[in-house]
Amino acid sequence: MGTENPGRQQFPPARPVATPFSVAPPQNMMPFSSSGPVVGSEASGFRPIPPGAPQPMVPSSTHVVGSQASGFRPSPITRFSDPSVPSPPTANVPPIAGQFQRFPAPHFPSTVQAPLSHAPPIGQPLAQPPAPPVSFRPRPQIPPVPMGSPPQTVNPAVPSLSAPYSSSDSMYQAPRPNFQSSFPGYVRMQSNADSQAPPIPPPFPTHQGGYASSAPPPSSYPYLAQPGGYVPHPPVAAPLGMQSRDQMQHFGSGPPSGSIQGLMEDFSSLSIASVPGSIDPGIDSKSLPRPLEGDVEPKLLAEMYPMNCDPRYLRLTTSAIPSSQSLSSRWHLPLGAIICPLAEAPDGEEVPVVNFTSTGIIRCRRCRTYVNPFVTFTDSGRKWRCNICSLLNDVPGEYFAHLDASGIRIDLDQRPELTKGSVEFVAPTEYMMRPPMPPVYFFLIDVSISAVRSGMIEIVAQTIRSCLDELPGFPRTQIGFATFDSAIHFYNMKSSLTQPQMMVVSDLDDIFVPLPDDLLVNLSESRSVVEAFLDSLPSMFNDNANVESAFGPALKAAFMVMNQLGGKLLIFQNTLPSLGVGRLKLRGDDLRVYGTDKENMLRLPEDPFYKQMAAELTKYQISVNVYALSDKYTDIASLGTLAKYTGGQVYYYPSFQSAIHGEKLRNELTRDLTRETAWEAVMRIRCGKGVRFSSYHGNFMLRSTDLMALPAVDCDKAYAAQLSLEDTLLTTPTVYFQVALLYTASCGERRIRVHTAAAPVVADLGEMYRQADCGAIVSLFSRLAIEKTLSHKLEDARNSLQLRIVKALKEYRNLYAVQHRLGGRMIYPESLKFLPLYGLALCRSKPLRGGYADASLDERCSAGYTMVALPVKKLLKLLYPSFIRLDEYLLKASAQVDDLKRLPLAAENLDARGLYLYDDGFRFVIWFGRALSPDIAMNLLGADFAAELLKVNLKERDKEMSRKLMSTLEKFRESDRSYYQQCHLVRQGEQPIEGFLLLSNLVEDQMGGSNGYVDWLLQIHRQVQQNA
Amino acid sequence: MGDLFSWLFSFFFLIALLVLVVYQLMCLADLEFDYINPYDSSSRINRVILPEFISQGVLCLFYLATGHWCMSLFCVPYLYYNVRLYLRRQHLVDVTEIFNLLHREKKLRLFKLFHLIFLLFLSIFWMILTALDEHQ
Repeated sequence: MGTENPGRQQFPPARPVATPFSVAPPQNMMPFSSSGPVVGSEASGFRPIPPGAPQPMVPSSTHVVGSQASGFRPSPITRFSDPSVPSPPTANVPPIAGQFQRFPAPHFPSTVQAPLSHAPPIGQPLAQPPAPPVSFRPRPQIPPVPMGSPPQTVNPAVPSLSAPYSSSDSMYQAPRPNFQSSFPGYVRMQSNADSQAPPIPPPFPTHQGGYASSAPPPSSYPYLAQPGGYVPHPPVAAPLGMQSRDQMQHFGSGPPSGSIQGLMEDFSSLSIASVPGSIDPGIDSKSLPRPLEGDVEPKLLAEMYPMNCDPRYLRLTTSAIPSSQSLSSRWHLPLGAIICPLAEAPDGEEVPVVNFTSTGIIRCRRCRTYVNPFVTFTDSGRKWRCNICSLLNDVPGEYFAHLDASGIRIDLDQRPELTKGSVEFVAPTEYMMRPPMPPVYFFLIDVSISAVRSGMIEIVAQTIRSCLDELPGFPRTQIGFATFDSAIHFYNMKSSLTQPQMMVVSDLDDIFVPLPDDLLVNLSESRSVVEAFLDSLPSMFNDNANVESAFGPALKAAFMVMNQLGGKLLIFQNTLPSLGVGRLKLRGDDLRVYGTDKENMLRLPEDPFYKQMAAELTKYQISVNVYALSDKYTDIASLGTLAKYTGGQVYYYPSFQSAIHGEKLRNELTRDLTRETAWEAVMRIRCGKGVRFSSYHGNFMLRSTDLMALPAVDCDKAYAAQLSLEDTLLTTPTVYFQVALLYTASCGERRIRVHTAAAPVVADLGEMYRQADCGAIVSLFSRLAIEKTLSHKLEDARNSLQLRIVKALKEYRNLYAVQHRLGGRMIYPESLKFLPLYGLALCRSKPLRGGYADASLDERCSAGYTMVALPVKKLLKLLYPSFIRLDEYLLKASAQVDDLKRLPLAAENLDARGLYLYDDGFRFVIWFGRALSPDIAMNLLGADFAAELLKVNLKERDKEMSRKLMSTLEKFRESDRSYYQQCHLVRQGEQPIEGFLLLSNLVEDQMGGSNGYVDWLLQIHRQVQQNA
Repeated sequence: MGDLFSWLFSFFFLIALLVLVVYQLMCLADLEFDYINPYDSSSRINRVILPEFISQGVLCLFYLATGHWCMSLFCVPYLYYNVRLYLRRQHLVDVTEIFNLLHREKKLRLFKLFHLIFLLFLSIFWMILTALDEHQ
């Protein structure tokens, strides 16, 4: 650091000056005075301009020319000299050049300039004579400040000022705003600093904004700006002011202006100054990172490869693929992708459909990759090179087009498959094993006594009837029904009949299906019979007193009806299967099993029948959706297997009562029946040489090592895959991924949806972290953790999750620990700033939380089955739900929905006078504070105001406020239709409802045996530091 | 003379066991290289699992009955493992998870294979020794 020298030389002149300030011991000053000029003289190029600076004024200043041209700007030293120098106003600008160069600082005879450029500094010597003259000048001279003086100088000046600054008088006001705005972090720091050691030296010059507030130890050396280099951060545990404050601050890493970026550290950090074991963690929990903006899709990759498919279809956990196995083994987070092949696209961005009628679909001969925007055409357009296996393929004659001078096909603009990352090909007959199937819906409905009592049958019948017009695939759609209690009832719905005929099969050991051809009928032909059936269904079993459930045999029967065509099987199940094959017994109420090695057996299907059935169903292209509505234990662990391996979904409505949950069931069933569905699908992900997808996670069954069988897929399902490196070293600069989903559309067309994406290969671990996608990582983590609960204890699953986060952060820390003195700071990449919080939320989520008492077994299992299929956005919302205060919004007529701010999920944000909404994408919880104005409650609840809220249904009332609330809720529901958020109302202090509805879901609070956010961070931080 | 026959008998038993295990390995390898689908593969494997378990048990008892307690002892770990699997109802291959378990299942059967080959050599050795003894 040769630069230091000049700095020191300058010093002497400054020192005498400095002494007058009792506040600022010269020792500490030194760094600044030295740093100022140095920077100025050397690195004019990288001077960031404080954003707040009033640039327009710059030109007007006279000094600017002199002082700036040479790159000097008045350094803090001038300030020091000020007091002693009685400010000769005239001396102003014209410094002698030579002097200038040698002592940039002192030569500012221009008192004027000094004060101005360092307006705040001047505040210190307030009482001095020079002040008055200053006051005239401020105007013209303000400009030089921003311009001439790089933040470096400014920076030091400001903090050293701190104490006096606040009291500085009005004449300096003009400049002050500038400073403030450019150092957002400063203000707070200052007030803190006031009380304790004022002489805290200013932070390192280069640190902008928030960084400024990390106080360096007084003894630390001047943080000279090394041009272009990093400025080492000081260890945070600043002995002086900082530690006593014991503060943990979040330093936002957003640099104020672009030019500074190069100087910034490229990680974010939390300083944790507290001593491990101290009682007061002393953390400012407000400044911790929180995903209050929701999920943010990574933009970098899309900018790098504009032809990539949209991240809603494919998201990589890191957009930078490691170049070697050793590198990928140092990336302790999962490496993989989350794929949502049929994600709903906003209007105008639909996937274009391409029909290669004449040529057949263009694919690579060797690796079977579909033609995509990344293939290159050579040999004047006669050949194309596959981007995945780099084989040269011939271009079929009909597909030929000339290349222009730059090697681009001239017909590019008419070829969506060569410009878009996502396209859909119409598949010719070679892609069909059989004629495309029609959409088939078969309903298997429990009609035992508990189903009748809950009112489920009525809702289901009504909903199906109302959806008949919207079922996809008219006029080919087929539909069928069967009901079961201790026997199985089939319904003949042949179009020639006027009324459906019911046939009862009660021999459960040897199932046979009567009239196999008339049980599944074409909807448009038998419409009237189907409607007649649905109308009469609720009343048919009104007085049924049967308590048994022959679920297994009924399932087999449904399979026999459907196995010709495949399709969707919707099971409405209300009673634990008790008869015939596949009967289940009560389990899961045994407290003692928890914590033992047998614990995980509870979450596995009890009877192998279910797995076998699931495998058979998939084989015949039948997808199962399970609607479990029991108020008692129904063994979702076993039933859910059916959905898991057939690409289905589990809906769970604990203690279903039509009056309360009816709306939810109605909406979700409608969604299930009417959303666009892909039938008899298979999906494969191809990727470039050297990498391989090694495991897949989600609801599907593998048909071969890399082929997922999906009897039915829709837009609400996502799949995860983990990537592994096969070669020790990747030689290509880019890796390509191609997801291909071959399916039958509801209209009867066979199609292939292809998503292609490219990602760069990097050799630098830091880059991998920079490009990480927190959402995808959390998504993959949650799938892995939930799968782990099937073979291990809950605690083990949580611990391994925590361990991986710790390992990743430790590795990241090691990357920077050498160049930077990290001290007690916790560092993490900006891209992963939410990872610890999501990790905590995941450990607190239903499938993983606590132990026996924290969630019922059925709830755990159903949440697990649901979460492994959720797309990234939905999952993140579930993990960190939005939490909003509503009362002010409702009272203010002008407030818009967009004004609603998400709050951190902590009980401390609950105000007894407030009305809060908790929305995790699956339900709303509206919390009424104890001291909420009765007016609001009356308006919203009407006469139910005093009733027990659990039983109250929130409905629209003839009040402006009620309408506003309902429309707001509706708006939230509209943003994602995959699940219907049912509204739960709860009043403050209403235990235990308040506890399990809301309080246990506030993930940042400590709850039972689990950590709160702050403790969790401290724990992770401590583990990261161990043997770091 | 009886001893020789008992060795011969065990020899054929071992060969049969070897064939069963190798057959399972082949099915798994076929599955891995996508020559057959998981349904066929797992049903083929599951068909021979019980015969394998039973013949192994019989062999072990046979050694015990014919007084070759040392050989019987060698068989015991294998038998114990099989019994344990059976009691936990994990002996059959799970078609839904077969790809995730493929690696494990293959390794397991390779261990069995080596164990059987080891037994085979031992029994051949004893057989020859007995034959020579009786010859003299």
